[in-house]
Amino acid sequence: MTGLEIGAAATVARAERDGAARGDTARGETAPADGWRHRHLLDVDVLSASDIDLAMRTADEMKEILGRPIPKVPTLRGTQVTILFYEASTRTRVSFEVAAKNLSADVVNIAASSSSVTKGESLVDTIRTIEALGADIIVMRHGRSGAPYLASQVFSGHVLNGGDGWHAHPTQALLDLFTLRERLPGGRVAGRKIVILGDILHSRVARSNIWTLTTMGADVWLCGPATLLRGFERWAEAMPAGRRLTVTTDLRAALRGAHAVMALRLQQERMAGGLLPSLREYSLRYGLTAETLRWARADALVMHPGPMNEGVEIGPEIADFERSVVTDQVANGVAIRMALLYLIAGSGPIEEGGNRG
Amino acid sequence: MADTPRPGERVELLEIEDAWLVDPGSGREGQGSLRVEDGRIVALEWAEPEAGGRAVRRGSATGRDVAAADRPAVLVTPALVDIHVHLRQPGREDAETVATGLAAAAHGGFGTVCAMANTTPAIDSGGLVEDELATARASGSVVRLLPYGAVTAGRRGETLAQMGEMADAGAAGFSDDGSPVADASLFRNALAYAGALGRMLVEHPEEPSLTKGAEANEGLVATILGLKGWPAAGEESAVARDLAILAEVVGANPASAAPHLHLTHLSTAGSVELVRRAKAAGLPVTCDVTPHHLALHEGWVAGDRRFAWEAAASPWTGGRTDAAPYDQSTRVNPPLRTPADALALWRGLADGTVDAIATDHAPHTQVDKLVEYGDAANGISGIETALSIVLAGVEAGLLPLADAIRALTTGPVRVLGSAATAAAGRRRAHEPLVPGLVEGALASLVVVDTADTWDVAPATLRSKGKNSPLLGRRLGGRVLATVVEGRFAYADAPEEALAAAPR
Ligand SMILES: [Zn+2]
Repeated sequence: MTGLEIGAAATVARAERDGAARGDTARGETAPADGWRHRHLLDVDVLSASDIDLAMRTADEMKEILGRPIPKVPTLRGTQVTILFYEASTRTRVSFEVAAKNLSADVVNIAASSSSVTKGESLVDTIRTIEALGADIIVMRHGRSGAPYLASQVFSGHVLNGGDGWHAHPTQALLDLFTLRERLPGGRVAGRKIVILGDILHSRVARSNIWTLTTMGADVWLCGPATLLRGFERWAEAMPAGRRLTVTTDLRAALRGAHAVMALRLQQERMAGGLLPSLREYSLRYGLTAETLRWARADALVMHPGPMNEGVEIGPEIADFERSVVTDQVANGVAIRMALLYLIAGSGPIEEGGNRG
Repeated sequence: MADTPRPGERVELLEIEDAWLVDPGSGREGQGSLRVEDGRIVALEWAEPEAGGRAVRRGSATGRDVAAADRPAVLVTPALVDIHVHLRQPGREDAETVATGLAAAAHGGFGTVCAMANTTPAIDSGGLVEDELATARASGSVVRLLPYGAVTAGRRGETLAQMGEMADAGAAGFSDDGSPVADASLFRNALAYAGALGRMLVEHPEEPSLTKGAEANEGLVATILGLKGWPAAGEESAVARDLAILAEVVGANPASAAPHLHLTHLSTAGSVELVRRAKAAGLPVTCDVTPHHLALHEGWVAGDRRFAWEAAASPWTGGRTDAAPYDQSTRVNPPLRTPADALALWRGLADGTVDAIATDHAPHTQVDKLVEYGDAANGISGIETALSIVLAGVEAGLLPLADAIRALTTGPVRVLGSAATAAAGRRRAHEPLVPGLVEGALASLVVVDTADTWDVAPATLRSKGKNSPLLGRRLGGRVLATVVEGRFAYADAPEEALAAAPR
């Protein structure tokens, strides 16, 4: 079923709530989301442009639900969503939790330690335990790249990657794309120059955005100190025809004519690793400030996956800037996560519960 | 007799007619027949006694090889020699024992293996070398085990281990493999000291400051998968350091203490080039490469399952693959490199820069492997698949068959040098380590059906280590029998069935 059909289902359901009759035929046509072919969401590299479109249109429906006085639908009633976070991240965890609850799922929260020294139980054992406790969907955040793949190999339900190591953060990239579509003139991403700025090397947000944005035809630029871009020039060279990726250490060249700039969080430990001299030097050369933003288009959007280090990668004057879409990103995160939970669960119509029969 | 011979049984009568014989020792390759009676090669006939079997030429990378289709299916060569295996005993008998490791070797066609010292405890004294040899004897296997001793006490990289004592006890050489001898001064001392003992230093070249926390080859695949990179320079800078120190020791040591450096599991084009130049300059250096670095490549980490020579023209650049990414069995140190690196290793074999193919057989338990990729133990259980994947490369035209067999037999024996003679002498003074296909000699040989296949599966691997990226794959080249010093180390079928060639 396509997003349009989901839209139709939602419209019909709304009509029903408003007292209008709904025929069985309509119900029959709004079968589970068979336009979505992915049992798990582990990475965005396997998502086609039409997969991404479906995710966007589903998120549109979810955002409409979020606008209601009581933003709750019975879609995942009876579905147990276990949120398994090996890294502390309150905002992402809460975003998933709100998303799952809005869909009426039962939510189990597990905070685990990923330190191999302190953990007494292997990831595989933990996943088996979670399965035995009745989980249908595991939302997983882990410090090791690839960990959700291991989970998906031992779990009979669905795994939704909430961020793994440096590798992928699928829902972040999708919410970034959703926000860009909302805020860019004409709602169009194709052909727009989008800059990802900062610590690209260690960023799962950057990697996932490279996939989704190039898939949707954006002109993606990566910019940062050479030590934090290591390997990406090769990737740019290897990009198949039709995907546009440019890597530069020159902030001015990166920002010139940019439609949007996504600043990434810079971690303190990059100094200890000898990758950078100091935060101060970083902010002087690569900080996004009112000054440097002047090199971009006058209507350029400013994004940040959060949490921000104001005064380091982003000037305080920019953080609250009118063209900053950071709060939109947070709000859209819930809609995207609702959409992805719904899609991977292969649920029935959004407004109906009991998909697990 | 109708039963399949058990390991250790003497060969009563084994007749192999119309086989393809490759004997790097005598430099002959060709069609012929061979008869083993009571453990000894009593008849050896070449189909063209004059022309020869064609001479086995060194460095014959010119496609003069006889195409597989024109050869008989059954291949007979001297039993193979593997100068780099990990047998895990003592200490990790859950991962492998000497007995299971030697059984795996025999199944892979190997009649001699050299075991690394990174056991628990590390083999760092004469007594521990003797214990290792005693364990091998007690295993009942006829596969020969030549143990290495550690370079440094406890493999801690601080002080020299009891090298003289270990050489006297039968150590084939010294290595801290698993780790490099990172301290350059200690490395220099070890190389100089080992030279006087007539033993080589087997070095695992790795500059630790460049590889800390590394998960996969630094390159496109690691970048896309978000894995910490292990750069080629991490190996090449160590190789360069080791060669510079070797040159210095060559000049400083008296002639009676000539050093010999052996660089193991070279994995990059740059490393091979450094050794090529060092050999041209006359330095006493040898090196080996592994079957997995020859046949696999970094794309395997992403789920690409093409061999290196199939992927070279179009390496993986992201997206869908044949298998799931982050398969822990592909985690190995040094990491799987690019297809171009793999091809450079084949060229190194072809021009004689690379002396040997050694498996770095590294069995691990599922507990140590079925964890997050970056936490998974490094290593591939590879001694049983080695011959098959080398033959796949030969079939793909990367190396003449005779050169591949040389790198698995006389090549490694030459690397072992005097240590091989000494070690063999301890058992049977009148027999060289690999006697070759010689009439009158005790038979040490492997019989392979190159037209047949076998399935790599947990049940078909004799090793306790099921950590092979080739699991689930059907490989060509099935070992029918491995014979060591007149006895079966492995047999696939009764003697008369083995003789029923060609298939
Ligand atoms: Zn090693």
